[in-house]
Amino acid sequence: MQAANRRKTVALLVGMAILMWCVVYAALAYFGGSGAGIVPIAVGISLITVWGSYYGSDKLVLTMTGAKLIQESDNPKLFGLIQEVIIASGLPMPKVAIVIDDAPNAFATGRDPEHALIAFTTGILEVMDRDQLQGVIAHELAHVANRDTLVSAVAATTAGAIAIISDLLTRMMFFGGRRGRDSNANPLALIASLIILILAPLAAMMLRSAISRKRESLADATAVAFTRNPAGLRSALEVLERDSTVVQQRSTAVAHIWIESPLDAKSVSKLFSTHPPIAERIAVLRAMESLN
Amino acid sequence: MEIIVILGVIALIVLFLIAQYNRLIRLNIGVDEAYAQIEVQLKRRADLIPNLVESVKGYAKHEQSTFDAVVSARAKATSASSVADVAAADGMLTQALRGLLAVAEAYPDLKASANFISLQEELATTENKVAFSRQFYNDNVRSLNTAVKTVPTNFFAGFAKVAEREFYEVEDPQDRKAPQVTF
Repeated sequence: MQAANRRKTVALLVGMAILMWCVVYAALAYFGGSGAGIVPIAVGISLITVWGSYYGSDKLVLTMTGAKLIQESDNPKLFGLIQEVIIASGLPMPKVAIVIDDAPNAFATGRDPEHALIAFTTGILEVMDRDQLQGVIAHELAHVANRDTLVSAVAATTAGAIAIISDLLTRMMFFGGRRGRDSNANPLALIASLIILILAPLAAMMLRSAISRKRESLADATAVAFTRNPAGLRSALEVLERDSTVVQQRSTAVAHIWIESPLDAKSVSKLFSTHPPIAERIAVLRAMESLN
Repeated sequence: MEIIVILGVIALIVLFLIAQYNRLIRLNIGVDEAYAQIEVQLKRRADLIPNLVESVKGYAKHEQSTFDAVVSARAKATSASSVADVAAADGMLTQALRGLLAVAEAYPDLKASANFISLQEELATTENKVAFSRQFYNDNVRSLNTAVKTVPTNFFAGFAKVAEREFYEVEDPQDRKAPQVTF
C-alpha cells in the first residue's frame, strides 16, 4: 500500500521532469537561443518563491491560516493523543496549533520532522472522539514522516517554473514573434512546440494535483501503519464527509495541506483536485479493516 | 592509474563495511531506546494507579478484592526486570485495571466525578502509549533480528557484538489482537 503510493509519486515527479524538458525543448525550437535564456530566470524565480515558503513553512502557514500555537497545559487531552502517535511512529514531538473555526479540519506542515507543525480546528476537537482524533493525528504525522512538505515544494517549483516559462514565451510570440525566422525549421515542429507551450501549465497543474492526491493516499496508509487501527481514521473521514461546513479561509495556496480539502469539491474537476474523493479513501480504509 | 583504481575500490569496500557495521549498531540502539520508552510509559502507568485506586475507593468501599489485585499486580510490575518478566507483569496489570474500571461502571456518582473522569482519560492515554511503545519496540526488534540473520549484515553481527533480541510479548491474547484500549 505504502510502497505503491511511493512508486506512483516518483512516476509523477518523473512525469513533471519530462514535461519541464518538453517545455524547454519547445522554447528552443520556437525561439532558438533567446528562448533558452528564459529558462534559468523562470526556474530561479520559482525556486526563490517556493523554497522561501518551504523553509519557513511552519511559521508562514501559521500566519496564513490564523493558527495559534498551544502548550500542553492548554489541552492535555489533545497532547496525550499526539504523544501516543509520536510513540507509535518514533517521530519527534511537533509544535501544535489551534485554528478557531467550527469546520472540522486539520493540517501538518514544516520542512522536516524537527520543524513540524500540526494544527487542528476547534471544530474537529469538538466533534471527534478519541479513536477518530487519533486517526486524524496519525494522518497528519504521516505527512510529516513522509516529508510531504518537501514533495509538494518540489512539485510547486516545477509547476511554477513551467507556468512562468510558457507565460513569458506566449507573450513574446505576440510582441516580435520568434527570432531566427530565416531558419528552415519544420513548420509541424513549430506548431507542436506552440501547443506544448500553451498546454504545459495546465498539464503541470494536473500533475501537481495528482502528486498531492497520491500523497494523501500514502498518508492514510502510513497512518494505519502507525496506529494499526484503520477504523479510527475511517470513521473520522466519515465525520468529515457528513459535515458540510468548510474552513472559512479558502485560499487555494494552502488548500492542499488540510486533511479535507477546504475548496468546494464540486466546483473543481477531479483532475485538478488536491485530495482523492473522500468516499474513495473511506473504501480503501474499509478494505484494510477487513484484512485484520 | 591502476593504483588509483585499486585505492578507489579499497576505499569503496571499506565504506561498505563501515556502513554495515553502523547499520547494526544503529538498529541495536534503536531497540534500546524503544525499550526505554516502554519502561517510561509503564512507570507513568504505575504512578497513576494509587490515585485511581483512591478515587474509586471513595465511592466503592466493598470492592477490596479488586483493589488488592491491582495493587499486587502493580508491585509485580515495578519489580520485574527481564523483558519477558516485564511483559508478563504488564499483561497482568492491564487485566487488573480492566477489572477496576469495570467495578467503576457500577457507581454512577464515581463515573460522574471530575477527578475520576480526568484520571480515566489519563489512564486511557497511558494505556495507548504503553501499547504503542510495545508495538514500536517489536518493530525495532524485527528489523534488528532480520539484519542479524540476513546477508550481508549477518557477517558483522559477531564483530559488532549485536545479537538477536527478544520480542515483547504480552500474555493477554486480547491485547495482541487490538492495541487500542477504550474505557
